[in-house]
Amino acid sequence: MYDELKFDNCNHSKDPMVGCALEGATGVLAGIKDISIVIHSPQGCSSTVSAAYDVHEIDFTKRKVACTRLFETDVVMGASSKLKNLIKEADSKFKTKAIFVVGTCAADIIGEDIEGLCRNIQPQINAKLIPLMAGGFRGNLYDGIELGLNALFPFIKKQNEKIPCSVNLIAPQANLNPTWWADLEWVRETLEKIGIKVQAVLPHDTSLEELDNAGLASANILLSHDAGYEFGLKMKEVHDIPLILSDIPLPIGLKNTARWLRAVGNYFGVEEKVEAIIKDGEDLAIDVLRRRGLMMIPRYRNCRVAVSADATMGIGLTRMLFEELEMIPELLLFRSPVSDSQLLLENELTDMGISPKVVFSADGYQIKQSLMESCVDAVFGSSWEYYLAEELGIKFVFDVFNPTNRQNYLNRAYFGYEGMLNFLENVANDWERALRSKHIDWEEYS
Amino acid sequence: MAGVANENVVFFGHLSELYQLAKEGKIETKLQGSHTRPCKFWTAMKILSGIKNTVVIAHGPSGCAFGVKQAYKLTNCRNSGSPYESIITTNIDEKAIVYGGEKELKGAILEVDKKYKPDVIFVATSCATGIIGDYVDAIVNKIKPKINAEIVAIHCEGFAGEYRSGFDLVFRQIVQLMDKPDSESRSRLANSVNIVGGKMGPERTEIETDVKELRRLIESMGANVNAVIAGNCSLEEVKQAPSVAVNCTLCLDLGYAIGREMLDQFNTPLNSTILPYGISATERWLREAAKHLHLENEAEELIKREYEAISVEFEEAKKYLAGKLAIVEGHDAIKSLSIAHMLERDFDMRAVIYNFHPWSTQARETSIDYLLETGLDPEILITKGTLAFGKYEAMVQTENELMEYLGDLNPETTVYFGSSMSFPNIPVVDLNAILNRPRFGYRGALKVAKCICTALEYSFRPRSWVTKKMVFPEDSGLCSAQSLTPKLAQDLPDCTVYAGRERGKCMMS
Repeated sequence: MYDELKFDNCNHSKDPMVGCALEGATGVLAGIKDISIVIHSPQGCSSTVSAAYDVHEIDFTKRKVACTRLFETDVVMGASSKLKNLIKEADSKFKTKAIFVVGTCAADIIGEDIEGLCRNIQPQINAKLIPLMAGGFRGNLYDGIELGLNALFPFIKKQNEKIPCSVNLIAPQANLNPTWWADLEWVRETLEKIGIKVQAVLPHDTSLEELDNAGLASANILLSHDAGYEFGLKMKEVHDIPLILSDIPLPIGLKNTARWLRAVGNYFGVEEKVEAIIKDGEDLAIDVLRRRGLMMIPRYRNCRVAVSADATMGIGLTRMLFEELEMIPELLLFRSPVSDSQLLLENELTDMGISPKVVFSADGYQIKQSLMESCVDAVFGSSWEYYLAEELGIKFVFDVFNPTNRQNYLNRAYFGYEGMLNFLENVANDWERALRSKHIDWEEYS
Repeated sequence: MAGVANENVVFFGHLSELYQLAKEGKIETKLQGSHTRPCKFWTAMKILSGIKNTVVIAHGPSGCAFGVKQAYKLTNCRNSGSPYESIITTNIDEKAIVYGGEKELKGAILEVDKKYKPDVIFVATSCATGIIGDYVDAIVNKIKPKINAEIVAIHCEGFAGEYRSGFDLVFRQIVQLMDKPDSESRSRLANSVNIVGGKMGPERTEIETDVKELRRLIESMGANVNAVIAGNCSLEEVKQAPSVAVNCTLCLDLGYAIGREMLDQFNTPLNSTILPYGISATERWLREAAKHLHLENEAEELIKREYEAISVEFEEAKKYLAGKLAIVEGHDAIKSLSIAHMLERDFDMRAVIYNFHPWSTQARETSIDYLLETGLDPEILITKGTLAFGKYEAMVQTENELMEYLGDLNPETTVYFGSSMSFPNIPVVDLNAILNRPRFGYRGALKVAKCICTALEYSFRPRSWVTKKMVFPEDSGLCSAQSLTPKLAQDLPDCTVYAGRERGKCMMS
């Protein structure tokens, strides 16, 4: 199955690879249009909110954030009047339909009653006020995404009827593809091709009206294996919308894409349409690679690799690397705890008959130690792994995940057939660059 | 001047008058809720990121450590070829908030000492651990004998002061690591200086930075630079730092804290002047340093040599610029004041600083006191947009007010010193642009002169409609090109400090 690595001197000290709950929670809010955020915090936390807006790549013209800028006296005396005034100001200046009032560590710990304050001040405010306590100590980025998703429930109207062949897509941003919205777009387009309507994305560029109607969907599809699972279960409980496809990998690589599509086809009874998409997609990928990527066969075969990613990308990618590229995944490093997807990972590895070394909630130190003690030829990771591996003398580092050193002006999916080609194109270019000799002893040739 | 008396003007007068109004509470000095700066924790981390082989333990939830690690450490890797560096979190959770996080901190210190073997461990407090009252000093003092690394506590909770207080705090704390000078160390370093007020880490090797220019000038005078504190310095350099002949500030505002502390504690002389933009400021900076190095003659020769190297081009440019009006963007208070000083003293231009938030009069009080004492008292123009809810640095309102203010000013006689993300109908000189460096010293003065001449020479070319539409799209409302939280990126060679998702992502994009 897998060999979970344990480390000395890591019980109290962590070199974090993901942000805190605040970033996760506000990363959900940033995906909703026509809302603003009032953050009740010292000013540094507004940087975290900015990072959350960056996750959705929302340009500066659409960011509406105000911060109470708490200082020592506020912490000692409380700052509810400061917050009230700022909410009023944000309401009159931002003119959004809803304002999320977010408390971070400082406000959370001193016990600011944001919920009560919002309730009391609501009659004077045009926007709907939604309180949300999201102190960083409430967990990591993924816990924060769950907090943020939970804050959406007041917007989702209870519906008795469901629209057949319609879905909500959940937590698309919990994905390390640097342009993950391209993955979302692939899912949306593919579903539309087979006659399935996307009712709401929870959330990315989502209007309050779409949120309002999310209860009409007949199924929920989770686009992450790192976050959103609890929300998906609660959606079943509250709105009677089943969560589907959470027990198979996301559509990464040919086999996983086919599995994912067939699962959709079976659920909605559109098997034939799905088979046509699979055939066209596989033909496209194989034809392109026959013409442009033949060299990858001798290049990648039995190359021992480490994958340092999230579960969303990492679980699906493992099968693609092992079965389709004939690589050997020696080491799987997950930034998230993979708590809701461990069974899926176990099943996948058992099915493939491999037992890689695995680290959950991997931090910088553990990634470095694992790479140092392994004998991998190549690493799939982000710019963090690029620098770590470079230091350790590992020659092939594929910079494919966030944060990346790549410049992407155009969005590139990793899901689906073209997504596989996008991914392999990045890998092929990094491979070529890695083999550019830089230390030639020219005298030897003179 | 066109438009000065219009209804959007909040203040138009000299810096000294603004300062007085601010002191009397007659002008708004608070930042608006939409204007944030990095907090004290961030600024403290920015300085700590400039000391080699140290590990910071951020005692708090993971987000504080992760944010600064991604901004500063990843930038150091990307821009400067630094190896991967960690910032550690004690990862405080709800349970620790209730019961205290002291056990986590003790454990983290022992673990970090074992697994990283750093020269120094800095324990930095965050809002969470500051509020719950973990007794960090006691833990640090008790654990000192049990670890190999030196250890220093930094109380930099984000709520505990304005953003610049983080710089000051860390600089003062770094002094704790220094050795008291003795006659041997003083004689060994009699010909050396420290450049104080640096931050982050190593600089890009391909770029002519201001720090490199100061280093070159010091070395050309016949002296050495012991360390840039804290710009990629080692513990050893820090330890012997008090024994140098003089501390020279890289930035009057940031360098003053550590320089003053070293003067008080070790009697290390301090050369603290205005930022060495332009000839007169550079001369003052060099002469002051030379006094303590006993290299007055060498300094005069250097001044002569450096001036001769640029004199023909500089004097030519100056003829072209004298008497012209310079509008200087005031987002960065000290930089804008220094640029105004250079333009007035060296180029005989008239400088008006625009969009200078009155908040700066308090946040940068020490520096402004000094500048006023030196006789620098430039004109300041503040319009409503600066004090409005939005992002005054580049929002539509301030842009429109600037246009209104400029009115029918002649683009052949007026130059705007500010971000190229602003689009006034006069030539724009962006001294933060990556290739417009160094800006300090004589070569910097020439670089500035050439930039102005180039801007004037090409004033016939309308600004790119493409870039203007990028920055100010239709219906952009309160938008700002700086809506991404500024991380004081202007100080970096190419403003790519918030190196989050992609390499080379400009903070303002």
